[in-house]
Amino acid sequence: MKAFAVAVICAVAIGIAASYVLSTSQRYAWQAFSTSSARVSHPGTNLVGPRWTGDVKGPHDEVAGETTAPKRS
Amino acid sequence: MRRGRTLIRTFVAAAMLAGVAGAGAGPALAQTAPPTTAPTTAPNPTAESVNEDLLFKQAPTIGGRISIPDQKAANLIQPQGREWRGFHETWMPWIGAAAILGMVVLLALFYFTRGRIRLEHSEESGRKILRFNGFERFTHWMTATCFIILALSGLNYIFGKRLLMPVIGPDAFATLSQWAKYAHVYLAWPFMLGIIFMFVVWLKDNIPNRIDVAWIKAGGGIIGDKHPHAERFNAGQKVVFWMVAGFGAAMSVTGLVMLFPFAATDINGMQVMQGIHSLIGVAFIAAILAHIYIGSLGMEGAYDAMGSGKVDLAWARVHHDLWVEKEQARTASGPQLRAHQAPAE
Repeated sequence: MKAFAVAVICAVAIGIAASYVLSTSQRYAWQAFSTSSARVSHPGTNLVGPRWTGDVKGPHDEVAGETTAPKRS
Repeated sequence: MRRGRTLIRTFVAAAMLAGVAGAGAGPALAQTAPPTTAPTTAPNPTAESVNEDLLFKQAPTIGGRISIPDQKAANLIQPQGREWRGFHETWMPWIGAAAILGMVVLLALFYFTRGRIRLEHSEESGRKILRFNGFERFTHWMTATCFIILALSGLNYIFGKRLLMPVIGPDAFATLSQWAKYAHVYLAWPFMLGIIFMFVVWLKDNIPNRIDVAWIKAGGGIIGDKHPHAERFNAGQKVVFWMVAGFGAAMSVTGLVMLFPFAATDINGMQVMQGIHSLIGVAFIAAILAHIYIGSLGMEGAYDAMGSGKVDLAWARVHHDLWVEKEQARTASGPQLRAHQAPAE
């Protein structure tokens, strides 16, 4: 049991150490791929903004038979 | 009178428009009508335009021009990617399910037909012999715990969206998969370290020899009731050792290639590595399931070797008689009990 506990603690410790070492060789996509003429996202958000939920519906996404509000002309 | 004049003007205007339209339509019709004397060797722009097949005869991929620093993003079409996707999304789930569920079914059949291999009691029952020291147990459990996390997080890549996401929902699945990916990437390092430790520590006891051939011929004592001679590790355990060393090395190499994208190979090479990684992974999991079974449920007394490190001397005499003789001759004082250790009753 003692060997098992030490093994688990060491595995987690080595994993955390690996995460820190590997992070030094990594860059965010917005850092790696942005240029003076192309902006690639912001840290913590994405290209469609922080409020994007993924539930955007276009005019062609309406379910068949679903009634929509009549347009005012 | 005024109305009559208006009608005349209208007719005149209509006649002029019709004349203009007819004069304009004439050449147009002449152009669209098939030429009766056109040469049959006229170039066909559509047939001679650049198409996908022609481009693939010139280069294995189709690319474009981009202005961002990552020139790899210029790659538009890489046909091998379709094959890789087809394999990963179609074949791999079936291969993985067949390997793992097949092993579970085999072990269940073995358990219900052969039953648990019981401890054979003798006058030496109750006395203990040290089978694995602290460092050996440490390296085994470090590798084993990492393997279980790696296996579960690896299976999530194949089966997660099919089996888990419908149960827990997309949001929980996304969070779980993100942490599973972290665990997979970072716990791979203690796993690789453990593989190296185990290889170094147990290599000398896992060199195949004639005793292993006799052990295999005798069915290893599992199929029948007679236990063949064995040293510290029998032929079955040696197979597990070399399987873990080989599969561990292969998983490490293919995993490192994917962990450092484009450092060693291109996108096609990484897709090949992913295929090998996943195929060996499911075979590895299936084999370790058998190892877990025989080390716990399948054989009474076997777990103690990795649990406490000490096994029953009667068990050791039956399963590893040559090793017990060697150990007793080495210590020249019977079982490896130190002065403060009392024999288990």
